[in-house]
Amino acid sequence: MEPAQELEKALAELKRITGIALEVRADTPEELELALNQVHCLSLAYKEKYNKNHFLQNLMADGIPAYDIFERSARLHIEPETSRVLFLIETKNPVDDTITEVLKNLFPSQSKTYQVSMGERSLVILRPLKSSETPEDISHIAHMIVDTLNMEALAHVQVAYSGTIDTLMDLPGAYRETSLALKVGRLFYSEQTVFPHNQLGIGRLIYQLPVTICENFLKEIFRGEVPDTFDEETTATINKFFQNNLNIAETSRQLHMHRNTLIYRLEQIERRTGLDIRRFEDAMTFKIATMVINYLQTERNS
Amino acid sequence: MASLSLKGIQKVYPNGFQAVKDFNLDIEDKEFIIFVGPSGCGKSTTLRMIAGLEDISGGTLEIDGKVMNDVEPKDRDIAMVFQNYALYPHMTVYDNMAFGLKLRKVPKDEIDKKVREAARILDLEKLLDRKPKALSGGQRQRVAMGRAIVRNPKVFLMDEPLSNLDAKLRVQMRIEISKLHENLGATIIYVTHDQTEAMTLGTRIVVMKDGVVQQVDTPQNLYNTPCNLFVAGFIGSPQMNFMDAVVKVNGSDVTLTVGEHVLKVPASKKKALIDGGYDGKTVVLGIRPEDVHDSESFIANSPDSVIRSKIKVYELLGAEVYLYFDVEGTQMTARVNPRTPLRNGDDAVFALDMEKIHAFDKDTELTILN
Repeated sequence: MEPAQELEKALAELKRITGIALEVRADTPEELELALNQVHCLSLAYKEKYNKNHFLQNLMADGIPAYDIFERSARLHIEPETSRVLFLIETKNPVDDTITEVLKNLFPSQSKTYQVSMGERSLVILRPLKSSETPEDISHIAHMIVDTLNMEALAHVQVAYSGTIDTLMDLPGAYRETSLALKVGRLFYSEQTVFPHNQLGIGRLIYQLPVTICENFLKEIFRGEVPDTFDEETTATINKFFQNNLNIAETSRQLHMHRNTLIYRLEQIERRTGLDIRRFEDAMTFKIATMVINYLQTERNS
Repeated sequence: MASLSLKGIQKVYPNGFQAVKDFNLDIEDKEFIIFVGPSGCGKSTTLRMIAGLEDISGGTLEIDGKVMNDVEPKDRDIAMVFQNYALYPHMTVYDNMAFGLKLRKVPKDEIDKKVREAARILDLEKLLDRKPKALSGGQRQRVAMGRAIVRNPKVFLMDEPLSNLDAKLRVQMRIEISKLHENLGATIIYVTHDQTEAMTLGTRIVVMKDGVVQQVDTPQNLYNTPCNLFVAGFIGSPQMNFMDAVVKVNGSDVTLTVGEHVLKVPASKKKALIDGGYDGKTVVLGIRPEDVHDSESFIANSPDSVIRSKIKVYELLGAEVYLYFDVEGTQMTARVNPRTPLRNGDDAVFALDMEKIHAFDKDTELTILN
């Protein structure tokens, strides 16, 4: 973009957020650059002082020192000590006007509920928590957000939510937790659309392990020959066997397979991996190992 | 409206979980198709793939002959009603229904026409100025339906839309949805885990389990001729009675032995058991509760299908009575006339209507007689 156009855009942005219309005269490229910088600084200063969204965005991104939080929240009339819950919404496609409008109207109390954009595909709803609301109610709200955006905006979304946030000081931590829930949920529980921050199970543990430790674990388990993937049939057999609590009779029945065929397949897996998943200990190791493999594959792909 | 074709549809999540396997179905224009099955069977995932909310891992989805696999949801001409719907609390019923159209910049007069037409169909005309707070659960549900109707889509997709309503309201709304299907002449795909809802609403039902389609048929056929043990047990309430029975072929006579009870198989059912080589083998005998009779006249006319037991529980439901009793360690249910004299602890004699029995292979669980 040409500097002159950029300046025009910056002035329009300044007018949009402050209502101040400025006229700038810049005769040389240096003057133009200086003017552009100053207009940007003006916009930023105004946002920092008066824009709730900007403040909350910065706060969640750990960009506001603790000593400054209460003063700035008071200036913006944001109650610093009230119970809230954070919903982090991530969309498959970039967030569009339909999504923001649907959410704005779903939570119409703008003085109490804040909708904060956190990137091209993610936004946060910070909603006050009523004393009578239970964890089930919060879960219901998260599902309601997903279903309503599915129905009204025809958008694929996933939602993670935090625990109770009692003061704004806890907001950066809650955002980190919720972001982690979304990442871990997508990785290990991808068939779900709602991820509570406190139900990540063993996925959380694996996600927080350094890659080298994961790799060493796999080398140890599979004696150097880490299976990248199993074929579809083997994966289905293993999943079904685990779903049925290692019950051979039930698994073979559900897979419409003779029990000897199932046993043969399980023995093949043992030959390949060294793990006899009919034994609880090996089954547990295998389950964790497959989760670690998935994690490493995703890490490599990203 | 529209026809749909699902060919070899699969869903495999990145973590390797295969939610739907080789799903094949052709849906005719104006059909009311129900996906039913226990939770986790892949019915919602299939619906979400049709909607475009989940990527299709394999196979082809066509709507009106056009491949839709990679088409964005908003371009598929569908409308959805899901379980956890929410109305915009500060808007009137009218505005709630109009909101989606306003966002898509539909002209005002067109919005007005569509909203009023939907309100007429749903009998919401008198409530258009009310806010959601002032509506009953059923009325709110109808507004949610209205939001879908105003889009005038080719296909309606509904995922357990009634599951947040109480039992009485569900029955009422079932009737409303049925009427809606008739009035709109719409193609509807409806997901539920409730087999009663499936039986009462659908023109055809798809029974699913573990991501696999078990049977696709009309409600009547599913009830009368289930293809396997799972469908037989899942469809019908109270569910079909099952017991292990040994097949004995003696000349032209075929009997099923359940412990001390010997039941004579009627001529219409013999052939499949003989031809299938089941002589001496154990099969699963199935009989619906309404085909277990306690009336003296039926018992007198059916001396070869009598079973004896002690009544464990007597349950009066008004128009009918459920009697629970054990046969060879298996609990059975009989649905009988409320005038029955039988009560808890009574020694009872029942006769099975052998023309209505089902038999399933013990290993494959597939039906033998149909």
